[in-house]
Amino acid sequence: MSLDRVFSSDGEQLTIFIGEKFDFSTVADFRTAYSKDTGKVTILIVDMQSTEYIDSSALGMLLNMQKAMKETVSSFKISFAKPQVLKVLQTARFGKKFDFI
Amino acid sequence: MRILVVDDDPINRFLLINMLEQQGYVDTYEAEDGRVAIELAKQIQPDLVLLDVVMPEIDGYEAAPILKRISGDIYLPIIFITALEDQAELARCLEVGGDDFVAKPFDKVILSAKIRAHSRTRILSQRAFEQNKQLSFYQSAVEREHRIVEHIFANALAIDDSLTSYIDYSLNPATTFNGDLFLMSTSPSGGMYFLLGDFTGHGLASSIGALPVSQGFNAMSKKGLSLMEMAETLNKTLLLLLPDDMFFAAIIVEVDASGQRIDVWNGGMPSMILQNADGEVIKHFYSRHMSLGILEPEDFEVTVERHQADYGDRLTCFSDGLVEIVNTEDVMLGDQGLENWLIAEPSISSKKIVEKAYEYLGSTESLDDLTIASYICQPLRGVNQDQSLSNIPLKLVNQLSADEIKISEPISVLVNVLANQLSMFSFHSAFFTAFSELYNNALDHGILRLDSSLKDTEDGFFDYFNHRMEKLEALQEASIVITTEFKPKERRLYFQIKDSGQGFDDSQLSDIQDMEQSYGRGIPLVKALCESLEYSEGGTKVNAVFAL
Repeated sequence: MSLDRVFSSDGEQLTIFIGEKFDFSTVADFRTAYSKDTGKVTILIVDMQSTEYIDSSALGMLLNMQKAMKETVSSFKISFAKPQVLKVLQTARFGKKFDFI
Repeated sequence: MRILVVDDDPINRFLLINMLEQQGYVDTYEAEDGRVAIELAKQIQPDLVLLDVVMPEIDGYEAAPILKRISGDIYLPIIFITALEDQAELARCLEVGGDDFVAKPFDKVILSAKIRAHSRTRILSQRAFEQNKQLSFYQSAVEREHRIVEHIFANALAIDDSLTSYIDYSLNPATTFNGDLFLMSTSPSGGMYFLLGDFTGHGLASSIGALPVSQGFNAMSKKGLSLMEMAETLNKTLLLLLPDDMFFAAIIVEVDASGQRIDVWNGGMPSMILQNADGEVIKHFYSRHMSLGILEPEDFEVTVERHQADYGDRLTCFSDGLVEIVNTEDVMLGDQGLENWLIAEPSISSKKIVEKAYEYLGSTESLDDLTIASYICQPLRGVNQDQSLSNIPLKLVNQLSADEIKISEPISVLVNVLANQLSMFSFHSAFFTAFSELYNNALDHGILRLDSSLKDTEDGFFDYFNHRMEKLEALQEASIVITTEFKPKERRLYFQIKDSGQGFDDSQLSDIQDMEQSYGRGIPLVKALCESLEYSEGGTKVNAVFAL
């Protein structure tokens, strides 16, 4: 199942919506979501408002995305993470690479 | 038409009854004085009385009011038949309750015309009486039903007491039943949700939707669902239940345990106002969506607005009934009017605002429900203390063979069982993260012997994934045993995984992580989530303890 994503009207901002579970099973879909037709994107938002579960491979995937996209994307954000998910992200010190909004 | 003839003179009675028979009135009774007439009237309930004035025992003047009383609420025509000529005496006939009089000797034509006229009134009165009886029957039936519904509503819409100290609200329905709805509930993570909504219209019809909304809201709050899921589910429910011309405007707010992180979904409600501690308005949470119960699920939008507030900030939301009040000069208060009140008196209570609203209305009447709620940002302590963990110890052992390892997702199932059966909702994310790390370690490294350093590059991540799939497919002999034990007295959950693999060198596990590295984050993460973590038996067995 591919991930939902939304571009802003000028194509510079991309929001990727993560499903209930963010783990290894998402690896291919997630890569497609951030790499396909995203040449103009400068702000990349990963929306986790419906995400209940996250594991360390998701953290790896987020870092991979950041590494792959940092040439063109200036701002990486994670939005609406639930407290329990946010705790995992904070434990892994993801605040250094991503803005939590 | 039953007619009672009262006269002490038998000849007069005979003449009257004879005349009545000729006119077709055959249901007639006679009495020789007032006393007999009263007794008889009680038994036969006459429709009309022809009454002589001068009689022994009880005379006509005395009998008339008593006969009227016997007839109760239905009009009983009394026509005096009198030989009197004195005007004062005739007037007295009417004063004591008589409706008409005819002089003796009576004129047949006049008397029968008067009987017809009065019997018409009698029939009208009877009909009105019956209708009245029906009306009051319906009224008491409706009142009874309302009482039942009121009772159900009072229980269904009961508000979580642990939150009343944080939220100051005031509900003022225009009728017994409120088209406005205010709900609040704790979330398993120590935060809270509240919902302020407004069904189209007011009164019973519009409040009926409050039941499914409140039940859904409470159930979803207990599970700690996101506003997105809440809005989506409520929309779906109401779309199904409500008639097409009815919908539910609502603002749903989630506040986290810190009391500062505010998530808002506003569909069709007036904007929620955010003021800082000085009373300045710093933000409006405008309606960004259509009301609930209108859009099909595929058109429904769930975007949530998030704001990080400061302690002391005040959030105020209200129903349109409050800002649409009109004063005696026909001027509407409006959003700005209400905002001005809030700015002028930043610490004003909800109750006080409603009082001001009634003052503003003056002699005009509010036609809509008035509802307002406000929350001042503060840490939510003491919320959700009643996390009722099961008090029965429980031990679960999952013994997985190679075939089961290939096809199952044991961790999701296990976490669901724990969260649902043992009321551990608030831990489900932590359990999932920790358990799946440990399970994946056992499977990937213990049994499948995969090397994490494969994950070093973006493509490596993929290679790792594919490699894992292949190895899993080829797996023949293996076992993983997951043992979960809940000890309610200790408020702890013991989790163990034993795998049939060759183990790994657990001395490599370190707390220090390289931020740039895409792997090796799992174990430190688990350590942060649990109380203790220990590998043994050459890395083939791991024990983790969680404090609940």
